[in-house]
Amino acid sequence: MSTPGQVNVSAQPNSALCEVRHVSQEFPQPHGQPLRVLENIDLQIRANEVVALLGPSGCGKSTLLRILAGLLVPTRGEVLYHDKRLEGLNPGVAIVFQSFALYPWMTVSENVEAVLHAAGLARVEAAAQAAQAIRTVGLAGFEEAYPRELSGGMKQRVGMARAFSLNPEMLFMDEPFSQVDALTAESLRAEVIDIWTSKDKKTSSILIVSHDIKEVVYMADRIVVMGAHPGVVKKIVENTLPRPRDYRSPALLQLVDHLHDIITGIEMPDVPAAVPETVTIEPLPPAGASEILGLLEYLDARGGQEDVFRIASDTQREFGTLINVVNAAEMLDLVETPKRLVRLAPEGIRMVRAQIADRKVLWRQRILTLGLFQQVLRAIERSSEGEVTKEFVLENIVLAMPLENYEAIFETFVKWGRFADLFDYDEEREVFRTFSGSEGETRQRQSGTG
Amino acid sequence: MNRLVPNIWGKATAALRRSPQFSWVDAVVLLALMAVVYGIGRTAQQWTGALRPSVEIDLSARALPKYTLFSLTRGLAAYVLSLFFSLGYGYWAAKDRVAERVLIPILDILQSIPVLGFMPGVVLALVAAFPRSNIGLELASVLLIFTGQAWNMTFSFYHSLRSIPLDQQQVATVYRFSPWERFRWVELPFSAIGLVWNSMMSMAGGWFFLMISEAFVLGDKDFRLPGLGSYMSVAVARGDKGAMIWAILAMAAMIVLLDQLLWRPVVVWAEKFRVEEGSAGQAQSSWFYSWLRRSNLVERLHERLKRSSSAKETRERSEVSLRQRASRQWVGKFVSTLLLLAMLLGGIFGGYHLFVLLRLVSAAQWKGTLLSALLTLGRVLFATALGTVWTVPVGLAIGLSARLSRLLQPVIQLLASFPAPMLFPAATAILAAAGISLGWGSVVLMLLGTQWYVLFNVIAGASAVPADLREAATSYHFGRSERLWKLYLPAIFPYLVTGWVTAAGGAWNASIVSEYVTFQGKALATVGLGAQISEAAAAANLPLLSASVVVMSAMVVAFNRMVWKRLNMLAETKFSLSK
Repeated sequence: MSTPGQVNVSAQPNSALCEVRHVSQEFPQPHGQPLRVLENIDLQIRANEVVALLGPSGCGKSTLLRILAGLLVPTRGEVLYHDKRLEGLNPGVAIVFQSFALYPWMTVSENVEAVLHAAGLARVEAAAQAAQAIRTVGLAGFEEAYPRELSGGMKQRVGMARAFSLNPEMLFMDEPFSQVDALTAESLRAEVIDIWTSKDKKTSSILIVSHDIKEVVYMADRIVVMGAHPGVVKKIVENTLPRPRDYRSPALLQLVDHLHDIITGIEMPDVPAAVPETVTIEPLPPAGASEILGLLEYLDARGGQEDVFRIASDTQREFGTLINVVNAAEMLDLVETPKRLVRLAPEGIRMVRAQIADRKVLWRQRILTLGLFQQVLRAIERSSEGEVTKEFVLENIVLAMPLENYEAIFETFVKWGRFADLFDYDEEREVFRTFSGSEGETRQRQSGTG
Repeated sequence: MNRLVPNIWGKATAALRRSPQFSWVDAVVLLALMAVVYGIGRTAQQWTGALRPSVEIDLSARALPKYTLFSLTRGLAAYVLSLFFSLGYGYWAAKDRVAERVLIPILDILQSIPVLGFMPGVVLALVAAFPRSNIGLELASVLLIFTGQAWNMTFSFYHSLRSIPLDQQQVATVYRFSPWERFRWVELPFSAIGLVWNSMMSMAGGWFFLMISEAFVLGDKDFRLPGLGSYMSVAVARGDKGAMIWAILAMAAMIVLLDQLLWRPVVVWAEKFRVEEGSAGQAQSSWFYSWLRRSNLVERLHERLKRSSSAKETRERSEVSLRQRASRQWVGKFVSTLLLLAMLLGGIFGGYHLFVLLRLVSAAQWKGTLLSALLTLGRVLFATALGTVWTVPVGLAIGLSARLSRLLQPVIQLLASFPAPMLFPAATAILAAAGISLGWGSVVLMLLGTQWYVLFNVIAGASAVPADLREAATSYHFGRSERLWKLYLPAIFPYLVTGWVTAAGGAWNASIVSEYVTFQGKALATVGLGAQISEAAAAANLPLLSASVVVMSAMVVAFNRMVWKRLNMLAETKFSLSK
């Protein structure tokens, strides 16, 4: 840990403070292969810059932050600190956590002083430095308050004071403002940049992890756009906008737009679907039937197409969740996604215009184009007892898609199948059976016979 | 019409296809049913048998299943009694505001009073009431176990009833559920999970009292009942080490079997009543439950039950007029008031007689009682402190490591349920051989019984330390001592307090059988309130017995209010992790 008060002057202007090379991270799963969370990442944090890791949830950005901080040892690859292999914790890093991580039994000043004591400072010095840090983040007067008396924004200020009090070489922030209300978050972002750019700044670089594009464009000099499944660095975008930045300036909005394009290029690729010779099993995006139908209704009300980011802000959904719904709808041929638009496909139009009973029939047709549903249905029909266990379906998923989160895929599978009246799933006994419900009745109603 | 036939045909063939598949699970289930029937018969034989002046125990290993069966029956009978008591008492307290103000404080006090103080009195009274058969003694034992099991279940049921979400209650009102329907479809399911977990805890606590009551000897009067506790005490008296080991194994086996065959399946089944969206931390699984589900017999029984309980035809729902509903409520209130008055009168009556009795106690005796009380208090606190000293480090080590806690969890559960009083006879023998006076020896005995509560709670607390707080401590280079004092100890403090309260309560109860023990035919006693109670009971000195019990109860309740409640308040405000 660099002693408080010193900037690491030995670092060249753009040499790497810390770096990861060819880093991959896997987590073991009870069934099947380990889950590959990060794949072959190369990244440098240089001096005097703000780096942002941007990506949807599940792309491993928090994991990458922890690897850089030395909290996790990567399965493969190496982590370097000042060009030397990192052993244990990264001494130049202080972290601000998403959930604040304050100790509820300590007051604000005790929380800040605790880390200074841990760093070896004497009591008097620690108290002075803590008081200074608390003043810097604007919490003067709240030193004796307990965390439960503070709002979310104030709690995060304490987290920031705690980190800044150590004058760390690098400040790591893990989605620091995602649990703070939007207005407070805006002012906190400005304050972080203010502290970082102030004349007597001690912190050299900041690494921020976020899924909010505007936040990232506001704060970062270098934006690392990551993709998920598995987590990789897709593109690095340089942000040369001068500070102080304005959320409404045309240059900023243009960069936001550019990032939108990059992300949709990654997440909703325009690659024309090759007509498959054999039916393949693909991972099901975690989206419910009602969400997908809701998307179709939304598009229908807006003339059949809409920009994907507009949809996200209109429906106030996190971008990553919306992408899943769109991808699911696309997989079922209900929508098309040229560039950033989401457009109703002919099948989607039919579904939207249909009555509920017919929707189920159409839905059933759609999901039966997917390999997994065909396999399971065939297995149920062929089995002597007319039932198939959960284990069987899980195994099929794991064999076909070993690197995916099979539990999530299973849940989506059950949701879609139930909506289509494709099968009965008994959760207690964990078996799938042929559908035994009022299918006959719905057909009767349709055909008008009694 | 032609759609109907394939449907019925399909269902019929499906049912026919299943019936010949009489799997071996069904065979096991049948065997178990037969064993239960035999067990009931054998137990009834024992209960109505003649009262013997002293218990006759056959120390051979072949007799162990019989004694285990007897112990098990007593425990289960007391549990059923506790269950009905909690449903009734809890329902009453939750529904009637006036009654609640009386019933809940009573329950609170009952929970704090060391019930073993009443054991000598209760046993003597019930034996006098049924001089010729075993029933009096058995009833006393069941009653004592009941007092160890009932209170926490009642509290749990009461709290569940009071915390049913408003919207669920309003659904029942709007759709005009009858009181029985409301109980069955809303209230009981909502309380199911709490009742199940508290039942497990109660059964575990019940073994403690079971062992004590089965091995109860008062001076020259032998009140022992045939069961594992008496088997153990006879084995110690005869120095039969092999028999002692068999007894311990039998007790452990009974606990494990009950857990695997009864509690785990019920816990898994009760998961469907969980109200919060997220599932309980670890997914509960029970191999026995999955087994039973595959049994055709059980499934058909289940279906038959469902069919018989559901309505065969739509019945006319009688419109309960407003007047009828008002009169129903009036009747309910009347009955409740009557019961309260009866309780009050009973209390006054009993109180008066108690007062008359206490007047017979001399001032010197009162002074002696108070001194003894202080001594016992000292022993209780000392035992709790000793227990804390070793359980906190061990508990932290286990609880903080996910791997260790998973590995050791069944062992810890067994240790927490295993009744230490079963080991008292052996421990007393060791202490006597080592020449340790009972003044200190009783502390050891108390420790033996109550340290597991602290350990259990520390492990629970350690595994509940939030991950982000631990990560923050790691990332900010907290040293070991800092981690201990600034993170772990404050984080487990609420759990530690719960452990202390339970341990101290258990120690008070244990004092009655640890400050006064019967060893090799002689009665050993030390100066203390527990000893005084036992001696007074042995000498049938009713006034002194009452005075001692009153003093013990008063001391425990006072300590509760002054110390434990304050610590609890501190734990809930300063150390609470729910921000």
